[in-house]
Amino acid sequence: MTQEAAQAGVQVAMNSSFWIATAIFVIAYVVIVSEMIHKTIVAIIGGSLMLVLKILAQHEAFHLEEFGIDWNVIFLLISMMIIINLMKPTGLFEYIAIKSAKWGRGDPFRIMAIFAVVTSLLSALLDNVTTVLLIAPVTLLIADALEVDPIPYLISCALASNIGGTATLIGDPPNIMIASKAQLNFMDFIKHLAPIVLVVMVFYLGAIKLLWGRKLRTKEELKKRVMGMNEREAIRDPLMLKKSLFVLSLVLIGFIFHGLLHLQPATVALFGAGLLLLLSGTQEPHHVFAEVEWPTIFFFIGLFIIVGGVVKVGLIKWMSVQVLDITKGNLFATSMVLMWFSAFASAIVDNIPYVATMNPLIIDMARQIWPHETGLQLLQHQDLMPLWWSLALGACLGGNGTAIGASANVIVVGMSEKAGNKISFARFMLYGMPIMIMTVAVSTVYIWVRYYLLG
Amino acid sequence: MKAKDVMIRVSDHLAPDATVGEAVNVLISARRGENGTGVKGLAVLDEAGKLIGILTMRDILKAVFPTYMSFMNLGDFAWDGMLEEMAGKVAGKKVQDVMSKDVMTVHEEAPLMECVDHMLKGNIKRLPVVDESNRMVGMLYEKDIFLAITKAMRRGEAKR
Repeated sequence: MTQEAAQAGVQVAMNSSFWIATAIFVIAYVVIVSEMIHKTIVAIIGGSLMLVLKILAQHEAFHLEEFGIDWNVIFLLISMMIIINLMKPTGLFEYIAIKSAKWGRGDPFRIMAIFAVVTSLLSALLDNVTTVLLIAPVTLLIADALEVDPIPYLISCALASNIGGTATLIGDPPNIMIASKAQLNFMDFIKHLAPIVLVVMVFYLGAIKLLWGRKLRTKEELKKRVMGMNEREAIRDPLMLKKSLFVLSLVLIGFIFHGLLHLQPATVALFGAGLLLLLSGTQEPHHVFAEVEWPTIFFFIGLFIIVGGVVKVGLIKWMSVQVLDITKGNLFATSMVLMWFSAFASAIVDNIPYVATMNPLIIDMARQIWPHETGLQLLQHQDLMPLWWSLALGACLGGNGTAIGASANVIVVGMSEKAGNKISFARFMLYGMPIMIMTVAVSTVYIWVRYYLLG
Repeated sequence: MKAKDVMIRVSDHLAPDATVGEAVNVLISARRGENGTGVKGLAVLDEAGKLIGILTMRDILKAVFPTYMSFMNLGDFAWDGMLEEMAGKVAGKKVQDVMSKDVMTVHEEAPLMECVDHMLKGNIKRLPVVDESNRMVGMLYEKDIFLAITKAMRRGEAKR
């Protein structure tokens, strides 16, 4: 970015395009938060209005990195969904969950803690919704077997999945989006986020011990029900299981080395999806593709276009000027405010549209602070890095605050209601909010010590 | 022939606010017509006699089956006594919470082929028959249509 462009950033032309784009953006976000219309429909209408009203040319929305759809995110999501859809019928996830319950030796709290750890590990590798969909049904079965209240298990499962997802590039959509925009690789996330997530997880286990440790009691004869379950019966297709594990390992190795190999994560995942489809020997990939969560994918597509529109007209630039005005360019203060603001914002609104907006905002801010830097020197400027990590930690962990803060929470609340145990908004928040505040506080100390105190 | 010619007048029906525990007792003792065979489903009528749902044995099975088991393959991990426990929990629920609500009905003047159309396309085995004012007058079972088909075939043979 040149000096001229940086100066142009401060002078945003507030013409009719500016106001039209801003109106589309604001109305779309308000309707998404109100949940009056399904968020995917809102995103598609908002995105296409940006095109119809000529805020963005279709070419800009479809082909430009700066204003357009982030295909890196889209293909990474779709490819991982395909891999998981192919793995699901093997019975691997039932096996893992039943095995975990048996590790807990039928003890209700021990099982809860092991489920929390397993859920967070799986969430670091798969998306949170998938993990919760795979673990929650088994936790309900175990709770029924032990005749204990299933609600603590479900809430703990959702919270653990949001924590675990924070650890890696592929764990949670905000990380996927941040990685793509800031051109960070898988190992960057492992080095900068995984260590703190481990610490957060220890705090989390302590917290659930305090919350539920004493309340969960069962009888000895009921423990035998759990111990009597044979996890091997879960494996339905041993051959496909081996193929799946082979491809998944390959994909993980690919993720670990994608920076060195100069391959994008989406490339690695797409190849993995293709390979597993091939190895599965299916002649009818129909059902595998039908189970891809197209509403989520199109939600992303629509949002990227909406955000692209407001980036182009300069709204985001204008917002970044306001932020810098408030923080006076103090990056430490900015990163702290960013983390806590992100946490509370993500607790209330979907963190996907939030991060989609914040990403270009941070980049615009960086352009104003370092007008002479471009490319990676700008995106990964040493002083900018803590801001990316603060955004990731705030947006991911913030999801734990309320029942609507993260998709995983929405899933467990819905599942619980169907099973006849309604989790009220207040009950979720009673557990979620203190845990969110605790985990963000721990992360705040981490950012401060690692990036500012030790520098 | 029309629906009203082969349908059976079932006097038993269920109230929406009855418990499932009460409903199963009605279901098990209900008969098709005078000294007929047992039924697998009964209409649920509101106070005005309007049909608002149907409760079948399959609905009861679905109510007892935990929803989480339909999300994943967990059948292998069920334990002896689980069904009985779940039955105990479901017994206190209201009929209106477990009945099938979208009920396909036929008018009493409907030709039998129309009834078969509904049964095959909707994958249902019984059709409530209603009159002009939408009040239920009888129930048409798969078996009754089968009997009508049998009669038709026998007549055909007799003519030849």
